[in-house]
Amino acid sequence: MANGLHATRRGVLAGAGAAALLAASRPARAESVLKIGVLGVMSGPAASWGLVNKYCAQATAAMWNEKGGVTIDGTAYRIEIVPIDDKNDPKLAVSGAERLTEQDGIRYIIGPNVDTTAASVRPVAEKNGAIYFPYAFSKALYTPPAGNAVLGMIASYQAGPIIYRFLRDSRGVKSVAFVARNESDPLNQRKEGVEAAKKLGLNVVSSDDTYEGGTTDFFPVMSKVVSGKPDLIVLSGVAPADAPLLVKSARELGFKGQLSTETAQDAKVLREGAGNAADGFISVGGASTPEIASDYMNRFRDRYARVAGEWNDEAGTKVYALEIILATLQKAGRGAIGDVAAFKRTIDTFSMRNPFLREDKPLAYVGTAYFGQKRQIGVPMVVNEFHDGAFRTLFIGSVE
Amino acid sequence: MSGSYVIAPGSPPARTPLRHVAAAAAIGLLLLLAVPLALGRAPYWLDVLTNACILSFASLGVWVTFAIGRINIAQGAFAMIGGYTTAILATRFGIGFWFGLPVSAAVAAVAGILLGLPILRLRGVYFAMITLSLTEAVRLAFLSLGAATGGGTDIVNIPTPAGIGSPLAFYLLAAVLLLLGLLAVWRLDASRLGAVFRAMRQNEDLAASIGIDVARYRVIAFAVASAMGGAAGSFFAVFHQNIFPASYTIQDSVNVMLYCFLGGLDFVLGPIVGAFLLVIALELLTALQQYQALLYGVLMIAAMLFLPNGLLRLRLARLRRGGETP
Amino acid sequence: MEQIIVNGVVLSATYALVALGITLIFSIMNLLNFAHGQILMIGGFMVYYVYGVFGLPYAVALPVAAVVTGLIGFGFEVLLFRRVVRVATREENSMLLAVGTALLLENLALFGFGEKQRGVPSIVGGVYRVGAAFLPAGRLLVVLIALALIVALLLFVQYTRPGRAMRALAQDREVTYLMGVDVERISALGFALGAGLAGIAGGLLVTLSGVNAGIGTALSTKAFIMIMIGGAGVVAGAILGAVVLGFAEAVGYALIPGSTTYLLIFVGLILFLVLRPQGIMGKPQR
Repeated sequence: MANGLHATRRGVLAGAGAAALLAASRPARAESVLKIGVLGVMSGPAASWGLVNKYCAQATAAMWNEKGGVTIDGTAYRIEIVPIDDKNDPKLAVSGAERLTEQDGIRYIIGPNVDTTAASVRPVAEKNGAIYFPYAFSKALYTPPAGNAVLGMIASYQAGPIIYRFLRDSRGVKSVAFVARNESDPLNQRKEGVEAAKKLGLNVVSSDDTYEGGTTDFFPVMSKVVSGKPDLIVLSGVAPADAPLLVKSARELGFKGQLSTETAQDAKVLREGAGNAADGFISVGGASTPEIASDYMNRFRDRYARVAGEWNDEAGTKVYALEIILATLQKAGRGAIGDVAAFKRTIDTFSMRNPFLREDKPLAYVGTAYFGQKRQIGVPMVVNEFHDGAFRTLFIGSVE
Repeated sequence: MSGSYVIAPGSPPARTPLRHVAAAAAIGLLLLLAVPLALGRAPYWLDVLTNACILSFASLGVWVTFAIGRINIAQGAFAMIGGYTTAILATRFGIGFWFGLPVSAAVAAVAGILLGLPILRLRGVYFAMITLSLTEAVRLAFLSLGAATGGGTDIVNIPTPAGIGSPLAFYLLAAVLLLLGLLAVWRLDASRLGAVFRAMRQNEDLAASIGIDVARYRVIAFAVASAMGGAAGSFFAVFHQNIFPASYTIQDSVNVMLYCFLGGLDFVLGPIVGAFLLVIALELLTALQQYQALLYGVLMIAAMLFLPNGLLRLRLARLRRGGETP
Repeated sequence: MEQIIVNGVVLSATYALVALGITLIFSIMNLLNFAHGQILMIGGFMVYYVYGVFGLPYAVALPVAAVVTGLIGFGFEVLLFRRVVRVATREENSMLLAVGTALLLENLALFGFGEKQRGVPSIVGGVYRVGAAFLPAGRLLVVLIALALIVALLLFVQYTRPGRAMRALAQDREVTYLMGVDVERISALGFALGAGLAGIAGGLLVTLSGVNAGIGTALSTKAFIMIMIGGAGVVAGAILGAVVLGFAEAVGYALIPGSTTYLLIFVGLILFLVLRPQGIMGKPQR
């Protein structure tokens, strides 16, 4: 059976990756082990979100381990990634977090991916003294009294206003329409987006069109959105799987204006799913476009492809978590490995050179303006435009 | 003929309640004494078993609808209703879990009656499909309701129940709930109501013809099931301290139904055995990472292939003699 | 307005193929095939690889999808469902099996094909205008292929020997058995045919909406809605259900504000089934 064949082919790849990981870690084997958890959705319709987190962490860990691991207070630690699939189910996220923190003694967890699971993990993380890095935008997670969550990426309500302002000022956008998947997270993101657009003086043509998960044909919903003749259509919190289809439908329905989203997309997915129809589509990206990527980023890209089977541009925004965890631990000292209080103290003053950008830019914790405390990784806000099958970086913004 | 119920040769005769009490005592000892002694310092396993207890409790409700011959894939919807009731009571009105739990169960039961009155006229796969749709419809309703009222749909920071904080306390609460549920369903199964349900499962038209008010009894069964779903949702709301429209999906409703199948539909203990086995199996498979979900599927297939009538049928050893008629 | 009709037609045609496959399996096996959406997804991936990656003509890719998924369906029936249906004291027990196979397929696909969304180039380029409406040529082609296949299936079921046997089986399994029909052979054939139809539906949909390993469950749910509307186990009912759902979606997204389209579809469905529990065309329930 054909799929069986592919399964083995990929299995061999995965196996080879694992073998490489093992081999790479051997020199540092005598040293101690630093375990990092990855908790997220790794199967079902949203599998790519958690899997990209997992592959990023595994690729980063492999690169560090090849160099002999991470040295904290003179001791070299081999990094071990412990991934758990929560299936986007809060019940499994909670038991997964208990397993990571209690069973494996892990204090630093990357994930989960959505508001539901991230909110459910919170009591466990606070009780067991663990820090987690969700990719969910709910402000309650990061605002006091909550203190153990660090937002792993740029939130939509941070990227949205900046993108809209750019489009208003340099592309003459005056009116905007929003479309979102009918689920809590994207709907919340749309709400924030609509407010931001209004604040910028944009005319919001429509803000209540949604589509259901599992939609096979985006013509009906896009017909409505396009009929309002907006200058800009914003795809709120759009999953990489849906983006090319929405974009292509809009273009096939004769839409000539701008299209944008605040989430990270993958160039190959856009290329395959929309082709040239995606030209001019604006999204948020990582540091993976050739004009801004450092050598380290390019090496990470290769390593990621070996771990995952192929590169995914979504990984550009998710590459930061493990890197900054390790650097912060190095600065906070050995005590922080088992006790997050030291880590939290270090957060406020921590800063390093962003290793993924060619340009010399700092990487620190941010978020005071939004959460009243530094509970966000200061990932640079790379705004990309899709052109001829690849991303081109328009500009790089930042979050305070 | 195709689609007719083959009356299980081993349909349980109403056993003596005394045996139930003894069995419940044994299970109670296991859940309330042995588990805390063995795992009291392992919050992870306590959490897994807490999930198993409450999912068993919700499955017991589904089992009651199986008892009248209906495949119920709506338990996620009622857990959602119960969860939101508890959440709203706690965060808007300051009413705690101990009062919120029975209210949530009652609200879910009322919802079950209102929805059950029309849909219980359906049978077989139609009922299965409509209840599956109901899970999705309730999720969408909560999403739309949030948008319509201008407020969000997410309720976070739900306070934990007074006196319950540690994983062990939550586990004990879950175990007690399960024991109470088990005793109640056992009692129901052994009562006249249980006999009526069995008669309805075997042939609803026949039951009606001997004067059983079929419409009333099937709504009773569905209301019991919904109340148990609502109570389960209420528990998870305070356990996770949040509720979202995405907290329960079709997958949850399907899982709860599967626990009944796996354990065996002819036994009150069936859903409990099924839930504990599948919940624990999934956790044990976690170590296999990306193979976990794959093997979980294989496990389900194997279970049905070799024990098509549920695990508890094993001891009856009548597998080979199963009906040869196509 | 024209756009709503065009959208409705495209949706109905693709949905009909989805519904036909699941209703065929249901009518023969009395089985709610939870794995239907996953089989469809496999069909989508087959076309992605054969047409999108290896660059063979679409006319080759679509039959490959049909054959591969047909074989999967055949294998499921012969190796799994046949035994369980025979020894289970309750027919519904096979539902757990169906869910198990759905999980298996989904995770095999995730493992083998990766987590990414996949898409293929349009089979034909260009966009037609129908009045004020836009109709991309690729969509028109999908509709035409779907219609041709639906007609072919109807003819097969109506006029061929195995087709007639399948209909007989759907009506009364025991009598069909007594009439000397090889019930096991026909069941396997029906399962293979139903799965193959799902594969073709997936192969057509991949040109419109791409494919990823996780699309199955939502599509199965949609298929359930369609056969509830039309009447489970009746071929004409499946087509009717698809048309109703397709137009409900097209009209709803165009006219009903906000996110209530599918909520209203579900509410309407419940109200409708109260009035007509067997769907539009279904046989009255036992």
